Amino acid sequence: MRFQDAARDGRAVVYAAIQADPLVARAAELLANASQAERILARAVMNGESTEADRWRRMFPILFGPTPATDNPGQTGVPRSSDRWRSEAILAASLAVADRGEQVRSQVRGAIVEELTARLLARRIPAAAVRRERRILFDGVPAEIHPYDVTVEVSGSAEAFDCKWGARGINADVLHQLDDARTHALDEEEPLRVALVVFDAERSCRVRLEAQTAPHAETRLVGLEDLDSLARPGRAGQ
Amino acid sequence: MATNPTLGELLDAVIAAEDVLADLGESIDSEWSYVNDLRQSWTDRLADLATGPVGARPANSSVVEAIELAIDEAGRITDPHRAIDWLSTLPQVVLLAADTES
Repeated sequence: MRFQDAARDGRAVVYAAIQADPLVARAAELLANASQAERILARAVMNGESTEADRWRRMFPILFGPTPATDNPGQTGVPRSSDRWRSEAILAASLAVADRGEQVRSQVRGAIVEELTARLLARRIPAAAVRRERRILFDGVPAEIHPYDVTVEVSGSAEAFDCKWGARGINADVLHQLDDARTHALDEEEPLRVALVVFDAERSCRVRLEAQTAPHAETRLVGLEDLDSLARPGRAGQ
Repeated sequence: MATNPTLGELLDAVIAAEDVLADLGESIDSEWSYVNDLRQSWTDRLADLATGPVGARPANSSVVEAIELAIDEAGRITDPHRAIDWLSTLPQVVLLAADTES
């Protein structure tokens, strides 16, 4: 099993420009440090129609309070000033994404999920081992045309991730590609853990997966609620 | 909507908004099953909360406003693809707002 850069075809060139957009890096960095509530805010705003910041602030009293203090201040108490600053920054970045045209918005959202995944992984793995847009090659097996969004290229504990903005992005092609890589790696006696990272509620992802007949029993699902697990040791692919 | 609605009454309105989103989303023929499975899954979750102990309580004003704005936002969706995204997004926003009550 070996990894290789994706071919620099037209799609790759266009997509590289999207990935290099400073807004992608800014949003991903903010979301890497965000709470679940802030990630839901980002999802809603980037999916929404309204571009008035105050409407969104009032839609998320848990972030932009004041809300009643409770016994669980981390969850529902009055936000701390640092949290409030981050929520405001996430709102601003999300509105900037929503302000793009529909096609660009969609591309930017996808690039943000990939960048967020890479940043979270780089908290438990040396950043140099976390790669983007890579193909995985196996002896005697035709290479997949589409590269994997994010790979962890560590000998003996490699990982491959496909990243999706929403549960609807889960489809047979994606599931086959991940599982095929895993089984080909097994044939070469190389462990390869595979996972789907989806910036959507796990409930929605499970609904989508239940209708899929493509193999996915060994593909880990990382939904919006569980993104921080990417940064913790021993979780990917489990 | 009542002047001081309970959380349950608000969630009933969210379920109605989910139905509207699903009607729009299912116009994409290839997604008909997914849209209806998604609607069922989320409306079951919302109905559980609405009929539980929290559902009977009057909601505070910020929660009422948050949920009504979220329903209004869903009502602005006209694109069926975005409606499918909002079928999942609306309940997440609403459950977060409702969590302020718990």
